[in-house]
Amino acid sequence: MNRKHFIFFFLLLLSTLIRAQNKQLLYDFVEIPQALMLNPGMETGYDWYAGIPGLSGIYAQGATSGLSVDDIFADDGLDINDKVRNRAVFGLGIRDNQSLTGQIEVLSGGFRSRKRPQDFYSFGIYGESDWINYWPRDLAILAYEGNADRIGERFDLSHLKTRGDVLSVFHFGVNRQLNRQLTAGVRAKLYSSILNYTSTSNDGYFLTRQGQNNLLTNILVADMRLRSSGLRALENAADEDVSEVTSTILGRGLLGGDLGLGLDFGFTYKLNPQTVITASILDLGFIYHFSDVDNFSLQGRAANEGVEIILPDALDDPGADFWQELVDEIEALIPFGEDTRSYVTFRPTKLYGSIKYSWGMPRSSFAQDCDCDVTATARANRNIYRNSVGGQLFVVNRPRGPQAALTAFYDRRLGNFLALRSTYTLDKYSMTNFGLGLSLQAGPVNFYILADNLLAYQNLAAAHTASFQFGLNILSWGDN
Amino acid sequence: MRLLKKSLHYFLLLIAVQYACVDKQNLDQFDDLSVTPTVASSLVYVESPEEVINNAAGANFYAQDFNFDAFNEDFFAERVLEGSITYEIENTTSKPLEITISFLDDASNVLDTETFLIDAAPTAVLTREIFYGGATGRSLDIIRNTSGIRVFGLNLGDNTSVSTLPDPRIVLRSSGRFRLRLR
Repeated sequence: MNRKHFIFFFLLLLSTLIRAQNKQLLYDFVEIPQALMLNPGMETGYDWYAGIPGLSGIYAQGATSGLSVDDIFADDGLDINDKVRNRAVFGLGIRDNQSLTGQIEVLSGGFRSRKRPQDFYSFGIYGESDWINYWPRDLAILAYEGNADRIGERFDLSHLKTRGDVLSVFHFGVNRQLNRQLTAGVRAKLYSSILNYTSTSNDGYFLTRQGQNNLLTNILVADMRLRSSGLRALENAADEDVSEVTSTILGRGLLGGDLGLGLDFGFTYKLNPQTVITASILDLGFIYHFSDVDNFSLQGRAANEGVEIILPDALDDPGADFWQELVDEIEALIPFGEDTRSYVTFRPTKLYGSIKYSWGMPRSSFAQDCDCDVTATARANRNIYRNSVGGQLFVVNRPRGPQAALTAFYDRRLGNFLALRSTYTLDKYSMTNFGLGLSLQAGPVNFYILADNLLAYQNLAAAHTASFQFGLNILSWGDN
Repeated sequence: MRLLKKSLHYFLLLIAVQYACVDKQNLDQFDDLSVTPTVASSLVYVESPEEVINNAAGANFYAQDFNFDAFNEDFFAERVLEGSITYEIENTTSKPLEITISFLDDASNVLDTETFLIDAAPTAVLTREIFYGGATGRSLDIIRNTSGIRVFGLNLGDNTSVSTLPDPRIVLRSSGRFRLRLR
């Protein structure tokens, strides 16, 4: 694969596979155990479940706002330089971003307490990668056009905001039906960071203007930082061989890396038998990065008017190296710093909320208007309505402020074996995001598949966002 | 069961069809992508009061070679496409002067020379732009191989008179403007 194909497929992946972590298709999809990860206070009907290791939850989501692969590479006869200039360099704003999120469950399970059947415990391990980059508009213009024709224009260094994480998460959650109306839950998380880089607090500018002595002055005012952990360990391992990289990733992922703690909270409340509200807050937590830390900084202010030879002072030292003096002066004014100090990052906290109205009783003999108790039979009848409609709100905390999404959904249940969900989601990436989800129960086997932004896939290359998720579980509604 | 099969069929078909659709993309366009910013910066500033010129032992009041690595840094030398250097000479002294700027390579060989003759004050500011590269400019190799600059100042008048203008001096200003190929 040559470089341009690699770039194409990377951009395609970026723009189509993955998005801002919103799992609107999975949230409160009560037939799927993995929905507990989005609301530890979700109503749980099953007695136990076990995810198939490595297959219980595979999730990929990606997004680009403002630009798609098609915008640049469409075979439309336009000059690519015009497209890059108009649609990317000058077309994107600083709130446009590119993001990738991936998750894979390594271990997943849950069981109901024998002594307190209203309690359901869930646990597991999953790996997660999350990367976001905001479009550095001024830096892109500076790189594309240069400063020569932009005298007097400030290039804002704060436009650079980017962050990436690869980590594993060990979690244990408790879900309790407090009464017939209210179910609440909490999940504790132990984060084991494999690698992290963060450059989100940059400030300063670069400016070229008419000089005081010479013709031009280049001014750099910088307060920039890049913090990283784990990169050096992986770099050193890569110098050895591939197996060393694998063992380094596993070592750091299995509590041998930087550690952190987090909590999820959630609840489900029945306003009446047919109307339910839910909410959850996820990843209220932090990671303390202390191993393999490499931090870089550029802080200070310097103005440069080139080499200056001012007589008679210059006559005093005929051997003076004016160029080196200039370089040394700039480096002293804006020192490039390196250190290995520990630092803390906060997880991107997510907030979900929903309201759901259900109707349509089945013709089953078990059917009842359900203020269900926690007995096995009653639990099985909790989600007996054939139809549900509702709305969801999703908010995630990002380096440039919260990102929100609104979703309307319709659920349809066919017997006890099939549940379908359709969604329409409105967010900064798309106004036409329709999704479809399916959960199939065949005996003890639960299979689910979820995909969103289906309309955009009519031209995959033009999609700004999409996500895809599937998984396989063994679960039981029987008494344990 | 029929309903189940039907639902699954439609779902998978929808996903498959949707994923199969990609408008024609032309990846060869990537070869045509050109990123060529034009950068600008001041280069050298030389200033000498008339008093220094008068006090010099001979006509040559200043001669100096100095290191200048801005042009032969790999990042610049490998990417420069074309450009220009602008000089501006302002003479407020009472004598005509000659200023010579030479670009030197590592072995101090002269690669390029520009000489400026400027009348005694009052006289207009002399501005000159020298182009490098392109169809009509001087060779870009001059720029790529420059690692030093020689400044030579010659007094073409007397060494006793003093200009009536305030703070009389000769000033040379210069800046470069170069287009680089980043891609």
